Amino acid sequence: MIETARGSRVLIIDDEESILDGCRQALEKSGYSITTSSDGLAGVNLAREIKPEVLFVDLKMPNCSGMDIIENISREMPDIVLIVITGYASIVSAVEAMKKGAYDYLPKPFTPDQLRAVTKRGIEHRRLKVEAEFLREEKARMERNFITFVSHEMRSPLVTIQQYIESLKLISEGELKPEANEIIQRCEKRIQNLHDLIEHWLDISRIENGTFSEARVPLNLTEVIERSLEEMCPLCQKRGIRLESDLKKGLPMIYGDQESLLRVFSNIIGNATKYTPPGGRILVCTDCDDYYISVSVSDTGQGIPQDKLPFIFEPFYRVRGKQERQRGSGLGLTFSKKIMEAHNGRIEAFSKEGEGATFVMKFPRAYDM
Amino acid sequence: MDAKKKILLIDDDKDFLMATKLILEKGGYEVFLAEDGKSGVEMAKSVNPNLAIVDMMMETWSEGFNVVSKLRTSDSGKQIPLIMLSAVDLQGPYQSFEPPEGLPTVDMVLHKPIKADDLLRHVGSLLGE
Repeated sequence: MIETARGSRVLIIDDEESILDGCRQALEKSGYSITTSSDGLAGVNLAREIKPEVLFVDLKMPNCSGMDIIENISREMPDIVLIVITGYASIVSAVEAMKKGAYDYLPKPFTPDQLRAVTKRGIEHRRLKVEAEFLREEKARMERNFITFVSHEMRSPLVTIQQYIESLKLISEGELKPEANEIIQRCEKRIQNLHDLIEHWLDISRIENGTFSEARVPLNLTEVIERSLEEMCPLCQKRGIRLESDLKKGLPMIYGDQESLLRVFSNIIGNATKYTPPGGRILVCTDCDDYYISVSVSDTGQGIPQDKLPFIFEPFYRVRGKQERQRGSGLGLTFSKKIMEAHNGRIEAFSKEGEGATFVMKFPRAYDM
Repeated sequence: MDAKKKILLIDDDKDFLMATKLILEKGGYEVFLAEDGKSGVEMAKSVNPNLAIVDMMMETWSEGFNVVSKLRTSDSGKQIPLIMLSAVDLQGPYQSFEPPEGLPTVDMVLHKPIKADDLLRHVGSLLGE
């Protein structure tokens, strides 16, 4: 980083010409590129123009307040390292200047060596600041890429296993015992579950680091819900569960992301199918009042014990005991909650053990449509 | 009897190559494998395949695009149907079937894993069978 020290731009604003001359001589010897101004306002304009690494400002000038310059420059160009020159070696004013953004101070009178030492320290400070900023950006970039990288690395082996199963099924057509085919089917199901888990984890990571792409457009919630009902209908039929809906007509539009909301609704309905016995019913309703549009999904399943309700949106939390079969990724409700929050909405669960459960999703009404 | 049609498969995952090869061979094709973009492009020249299947993410995340554009500008690859494979769920530039300008065109984008009968059906239709 030698080149930043040599040739670093230093601007000095002081009303005393003799001080400016002295500084110029002392610093030019060390290879800095020096600009000076004996007028406060002209000095500020010069700073905008040449963007110095270090700026010295005399606190006491006849027609301009050095303190104001400090305040303005540190707000407008925070990258510039500000150092105040205090004529009346007043610690109080130096402290005030540093509160307003100055990095250091230099009391008059000073020797050329003192000036060079303060300048060098200021430039070093600036270099560290720039480096820290660069590292921060680099870290953020790596975090963004990390998600994509990990998802690729996790999905690849699964995809390959699935492809092997596909080829196994094809080349062994009609030659395997039914039990062997059953084993293959079970493998496929478990791999699919793992796939879903990765997808959910990925979505949640993306929401958390702000790279989840959401298209906020005016949406007709009824249409999204109808799509979800259509999507979930075959599963309910298969499990012998009635899927019914009572959707209010003329629901106001909301701003939202169609695909992620579709997944939220399908998630909640899918969840209900897991805990509702054959012959049961899942009912999806919509309603609205002056402030909220709400979507509720109620089932006639076993319900959720009161003491477990507060935890169901936590990642990997499972209501059922260990001995029972666990299905799903364990992240579906967490995902749904995050998506609802991203829509400035919320999701709540109500239940009594043995009397089914109701999930209510509330969206704030948008009045500017 | 006609000679078997030749399919070139380029992917850096050896197991994925093997699994897909088994499916294509069962479909009656002669299959050639390349584990990286460079050898894939070389192999296209010597094999003169009737169709090539290229994975999008290999050594680098965009290696597949390089391979496709090299194939498209070579004599052996100019005319043949090209299939791009992707394990990423529709996030890349090939999200739609019409890639943005400057990217080489492919005839089809398929997502891994591919059902065996889907793969054979698509390959068959691209080869005009």
